[in-house]
Amino acid sequence: MPSSRRQFLTISSVGSAAWLSGIAASAAPKGSREPAPERAPSYDDQAAEALARSPVASDADIARRAVQAAMDGGATYADARLVLMRREQVAVRDDRARPVSLREHYGLGIRVVADGGWGFAAIQALSDRAVVDAAKLAVTSARANGKLRKDLGQPLVELVPAPVAKATWVTPHEIDPFDVAPIDKAEMLLEIAARAKAVKGVSFVEAGFSAVAEDKLLVTSDGSELHQIFLRVAPQLTVTAVDRRRGGFASRDHEAPAMLAGWEYLRDLGLRNDAAGVGEDAVRKLHAASVEPGVKTVVLAPSNLWLTIHESIGHPTELDRVMGLEADLAGTSFLRPEDLGERRIGSERVNLVADRTQPGGLATVGWDDEGVAAQRWDLVRDGKLVGWQTTRDQAKWIGESASRGCCYGEGHDGVPFQRMPNVSLQPGPEGYTTEDLINATEDGIYVTGRGSWSIDQQRYNFQFSGQTFWEIKRGRLTRPLRDVAYQANTIEFWSSCDMIGGPGTYRLGGTFGDGKGQPHQSNSVSHGCPPARFTANVINTGGTDQ
Amino acid sequence: MTLLRKDAKRLVDKVLAQASVGDLRVQVSASKRGHLRYGAGRPTTSGDVDGVTLAVTASKGRRTATVTGSRTDDAAVAELVRRAEGLAELSPEDPEHMPPLAEASYPKVRAEDKAVTRLDPGARAELVGRAIRRAEADGVAAAGLLEHEQLATAVGNRSGLFAHHACTQVSLSATCRTEDGTGSARAGFVSHALSGLVPEILVSDAAQRAKRSQLPAPRDPGRYPVILAPQAVADLLDVFVGGLDARRADEGRSAFSRKGGGNLVGDALFDSRVELWSDPADPNDPASPFDRGGRPHRKVKWVEGGVLRALHNSRYWADKQGLEDLPMPSSLHMGGGTDDLDALVSGFDRGILISRFWYIRMLDPQQLLVTGLTRDGTFWIDKGKVVEPVRNFRFNDSPLTLLRKVVALGRPQRAGLSTERVTVVPPLVVSEFELSSVSDAV
Repeated sequence: MPSSRRQFLTISSVGSAAWLSGIAASAAPKGSREPAPERAPSYDDQAAEALARSPVASDADIARRAVQAAMDGGATYADARLVLMRREQVAVRDDRARPVSLREHYGLGIRVVADGGWGFAAIQALSDRAVVDAAKLAVTSARANGKLRKDLGQPLVELVPAPVAKATWVTPHEIDPFDVAPIDKAEMLLEIAARAKAVKGVSFVEAGFSAVAEDKLLVTSDGSELHQIFLRVAPQLTVTAVDRRRGGFASRDHEAPAMLAGWEYLRDLGLRNDAAGVGEDAVRKLHAASVEPGVKTVVLAPSNLWLTIHESIGHPTELDRVMGLEADLAGTSFLRPEDLGERRIGSERVNLVADRTQPGGLATVGWDDEGVAAQRWDLVRDGKLVGWQTTRDQAKWIGESASRGCCYGEGHDGVPFQRMPNVSLQPGPEGYTTEDLINATEDGIYVTGRGSWSIDQQRYNFQFSGQTFWEIKRGRLTRPLRDVAYQANTIEFWSSCDMIGGPGTYRLGGTFGDGKGQPHQSNSVSHGCPPARFTANVINTGGTDQ
Repeated sequence: MTLLRKDAKRLVDKVLAQASVGDLRVQVSASKRGHLRYGAGRPTTSGDVDGVTLAVTASKGRRTATVTGSRTDDAAVAELVRRAEGLAELSPEDPEHMPPLAEASYPKVRAEDKAVTRLDPGARAELVGRAIRRAEADGVAAAGLLEHEQLATAVGNRSGLFAHHACTQVSLSATCRTEDGTGSARAGFVSHALSGLVPEILVSDAAQRAKRSQLPAPRDPGRYPVILAPQAVADLLDVFVGGLDARRADEGRSAFSRKGGGNLVGDALFDSRVELWSDPADPNDPASPFDRGGRPHRKVKWVEGGVLRALHNSRYWADKQGLEDLPMPSSLHMGGGTDDLDALVSGFDRGILISRFWYIRMLDPQQLLVTGLTRDGTFWIDKGKVVEPVRNFRFNDSPLTLLRKVVALGRPQRAGLSTERVTVVPPLVVSEFELSSVSDAV
């Protein structure tokens, strides 16, 4: 570890080892992602600057005070999170900039266990009295809920231990996206939009950059104190071609994913160079042939497959869904606790890994929101279910002694609960390229990008569309198609997986909008994958009215 | 925190007093929210969230920026205004920028209930305890959320605009599942007032329907006559409201675009019995009298006698096209008859009863074609009787189908699971609806 990094990772006890093993583990599957850049930038200065500029650190005493007040009030566990969320949106439509939006939200969330129940309170005004009152309110709430659990004869909340850690972690970055003036971002977007608009047949272009900075200080009654700064950025480029005479239109989204990164990621994406191509795709899609429905071979690009992984593997392996706790809104799972180690959900080629240490992953952290170090573990190995996503509250439900570190609350006022880590499909050992998959396909469709999707509440029956669709005949891409969606159920789909691209084809996709919980909260998460080949029921979504 | 009208005015004025540009708008939202979740027979997470957000939108010429913060002290307010103005200067010109709204009048809306403001952790545990015990007695596993909120919103600018609205909302949902995992149903209550909330009634209703939906039989996908419960109608009409956008229609990008240009306002698009309107001042189901920008919501007839009467718009688009200023509505009412769902069923020959929809996503905005799934109780009806539960379906169809192919309309009621927009709609019998594949999920 370079000394300048060590300077910012003043880590106590086991935290250090967990962090290091996280790094080591993330490098374990050889060649599973992009080759490293030739010149690795030094991020340590940026991390130092980010921490030094953070207004959150100076309020650490407020978080300590909240935890102390909760423990004094009878809590058996307490954690306090000071969170400063900053969100910026710069967008353009054709040659016009949209109003810039910057949202800041800062406050304290205090979560407690008392009398075996959960309680939580969140405030923005951080006077000593308000902090103490909030801690007491959280304890009152926890006691009422603990008493109800007892009266109902239900098990009380019991947390598995987590090693104590005092440390900091900052998203590796060169440039804080909030240091780049909105007008500079808008100018770049206007140029991108102009290039797309210049394509004959293009009617509308929408482009934007989103940036989120999450500055978080966690203090737990175990003694952990963790200050982390996460930077997340996302590009958007949507080009629409309209055929006014025939009354039709087609839209095409750029496929560049959101990323845990600084401004340099957006700067270096090359959207300027891609813009005209995206415009051409939109026009081509408008005039593409409508798909013939039927059971077909589909070759799914990483830009399409990541969302299918999210919905069909990410969600059903959330333990709270499995236990019925999310039944009222997000839903349950087709998986049951006893399926672990037993249930086959894919072909033997299928290996899916949960990983909160993955570089660039939107759910990558140093520690989760209850102080558990980031880790990497298997969810599906050789096609079989072998792991769950858990928190400290949930580990005991399945007889485990440690949490998988999946606790997250959005902002200071979202109650932390189990949220999805980065879940990724591992590359195949054969080293196939995308071309290999296409060449090996007699009759099928190559699908790229994220389109409309829908999946049932047990994460079983699903339907996904995409951005571009190419007919494959005798191993060649023959013509563009439109109105394509593929329908399947999770097990049939993953069981039909018969080819997976090699390490060189592995890409990340991701979203800021992983929704779950009541009240609703958004989580940011990435999914890596190579292209892969499946069999699915392809339907035509064009309808018959027109 | 919550804000009385005079406190909101004082806060808005404090922000405006800091402005150095003439075109500055502030939106305030102050809320006190509490919730308790439950599942697997026990209360789970719970919380009280006290918060305020101040959104300051500053414009210098056509350069606009909005900065949102969460502190109300003098220094923080001054900083917020300074940053909004500074950011506006750094922002690119927005050719669609509109001058500030002038003083406006708003419908009088009574939407506060003292009983809701008094709910606390003890009261939450009591209400949720009653729900859990009822579910236990009925032999089902229940999961859901109790939530209550006291909310005040205000908007003001330097051109004399000031709007204030205070409301309360309480909601309880319950998803009941049978022990074998093959039956499920969901019930919900939402209102500005606490008085109608009886957890036992809500849970019992869901529990009975869950048991009736147990061990569903497979049935082939296809086009079927359907009866949609009010919640299912609400789920689809939510998509419909989003689709009523004037700009997208005028630009040739929506189901309401006229081929060759323009939109379909004035055309008889639907069954002549279809009446759709919004009304923030409805006494039973009040809704916000203005949108986030302070644009007034009035009573608006969107569809009258099956004729499309209006599309909602942005201020820019309304101005450009010479349209009446119509923001997206805060409520939706659909007219109907007097029959309840059971009466509609008994008059129905043969087809499928759908309780609600789930995971609705757009497939083709040009036709307002969406996909999604049925959930929480889908039944086969034959000769006016519920014969058996059937497995859930994925559908590929449009809310427009409902309005075109409606055969019978029942008595409108508040959709208890629609907590975002006030939605009061009837159960509907529809002559055909595309159920495209079977879903095994329960």
